[in-house]
Amino acid sequence: MLTIKILGPGCANCKRLEEIARKAASDLNVTAEFTKVTDYNDILAYDLVSTPGLVINEKLVSSGRIPSPASVAAWIDEAMKTA
Amino acid sequence: MDVAAYLVNSTRGGLGNLAAYLAAHVLLCLLPAFYIAGAMTALIPKESVTRFLGRDTRRAVSYPAAALAGGLLAVCSCTIVPLFAGIYKKGAGIGPAITFLFFAPAANILALVYTGSVIGVDLALARLFLSLAFGIGIGLIMALLFRADDAAHDAATSQMFAAQSDKGMSRTALIFLLTWVALLLVGTLKLDIFTGSYIYVNLPLAGAQEFQALLDRLVPFDAVKGEEGVSLQGVLLILLLAAIGLASWRGFERIHDGFSAWTKAAIGLIGVTLLVAAVNMQATPAGLSVGFTGKFFGVLFALAVLFEIGRVYLTEDELRDWLWESWRFVKQIFPLLVVGVFLVGVIRVLIRPEWIESLAGSNTLLGNLTGVAFGVFMYFPTLVEVPIAQLFLSLGMHRGPLLAYLMADPELSLQSILILSAIIGKLKTWTYVVWVALFSTMAGLIYGAWVDGMSLGLVAIYLGLFLTLLALALGLVSQRNQQQDDKQAQTL
Repeated sequence: MLTIKILGPGCANCKRLEEIARKAASDLNVTAEFTKVTDYNDILAYDLVSTPGLVINEKLVSSGRIPSPASVAAWIDEAMKTA
Repeated sequence: MDVAAYLVNSTRGGLGNLAAYLAAHVLLCLLPAFYIAGAMTALIPKESVTRFLGRDTRRAVSYPAAALAGGLLAVCSCTIVPLFAGIYKKGAGIGPAITFLFFAPAANILALVYTGSVIGVDLALARLFLSLAFGIGIGLIMALLFRADDAAHDAATSQMFAAQSDKGMSRTALIFLLTWVALLLVGTLKLDIFTGSYIYVNLPLAGAQEFQALLDRLVPFDAVKGEEGVSLQGVLLILLLAAIGLASWRGFERIHDGFSAWTKAAIGLIGVTLLVAAVNMQATPAGLSVGFTGKFFGVLFALAVLFEIGRVYLTEDELRDWLWESWRFVKQIFPLLVVGVFLVGVIRVLIRPEWIESLAGSNTLLGNLTGVAFGVFMYFPTLVEVPIAQLFLSLGMHRGPLLAYLMADPELSLQSILILSAIIGKLKTWTYVVWVALFSTMAGLIYGAWVDGMSLGLVAIYLGLFLTLLALALGLVSQRNQQQDDKQAQTL
């Protein structure tokens, strides 16, 4: 079970990132709990300068851009192994 | 006049304005600018600029860096506020953060290029330099006024900037970006070497002249009133633009799933369109005369270089990020711009030049204040302020108040004031608003005086005097604060 957080105030990029992350998780048959973090104070608790950010199991894996589905899948895979 | 005729007349004004704009200004100016904006967002690591904004950085570095960050990283107001929140909450002093906030909407690449192409290079340059000087000025003032808050705020967060990696920009990405800028310059600079034609080809296209005559009847224009007609080349370009729109929708919208044939088609069409926009087409009795200009060869060369860099040197991730960010800007800004330009065309028919002339026809304090007030209370989406400004100009507004309006409008709108007060609080927000209004009025007055024929030296002296006075006042207050702090430290 993973916790995946999407950091961003609800812009188009954040929605696209969530879409990609959800698809990657379901493709890998991984159950994950998705949370959208939209409050600036909560977002900036993580070490990022610009949104959207992707956090898997409390680790910030990407920020400021939309990662490719392949790399999101790789991060999820890695998080499953270390978990 | 009966209502129906009135409606037809204004709708025709709107459509004519839109067609003229799409044909004349969008290509070779806005199209490359959107791709440059995308490349800046996607390829410049934000940390490479923002790490200079920390509290420990010297002021001589952090303020120019803040302006640079504003110009490079934030292209429209939608990106500015989140980035501003990020920079401010991560521990940049309020000064550099405000400089960033001020400079970004006033002098980003899209705004400058568009202003230069629609209104004039002089106004674009005035916008750039005055925004730079005043952005830093307002930043310094805010830092001074809210010194105490700032110190408390910084103590909590100042380490975070130090921890940032200094990942630089890759050299290939930089060359890619600069080639786009070169393409933009070749396409828009009106130098003889670019505008002159070197090879002529005559296409035996019967009816070309009749078609042009038809266009002139459909979109009647009066050059004196600042209206522009639509040429045959313009119609061709509008069609190509529509094709790009369709191909981009299909090819870029789902780009994260991979590059499709639509993606390639869109890229190809963009290249073709830029080339078509660069040639010189004239309808003649014999058909269509096509002149291959210096611009054409320049654009062709730049496109070849870009294609080679994109194909060989950029990674797939970089390419995808770049195309996506550019497309996102287009999607976000372009529809609003189209609607805005259409409405400007409609309004143009309704407004009487006498109104504008009596309010802001000359470079007076009242005229400049009117420009600023209009900028604050009207909210226009990014870039729409430019066609509006051109409307005012053609209706007789003086260039001074026009600049005042252009400085104030993107900075201040009721909407952005509300968002801002959520981040930095009401007091700081309203202080900022008052200073921006004041500085915009000053900018208009100074620039207007220069337009009215005051010598450049005198303008420089006035500007220098104003800035020196400001600096002196700031220095004095700052010194007094320092002494008070020392006293407090002693009594403690």
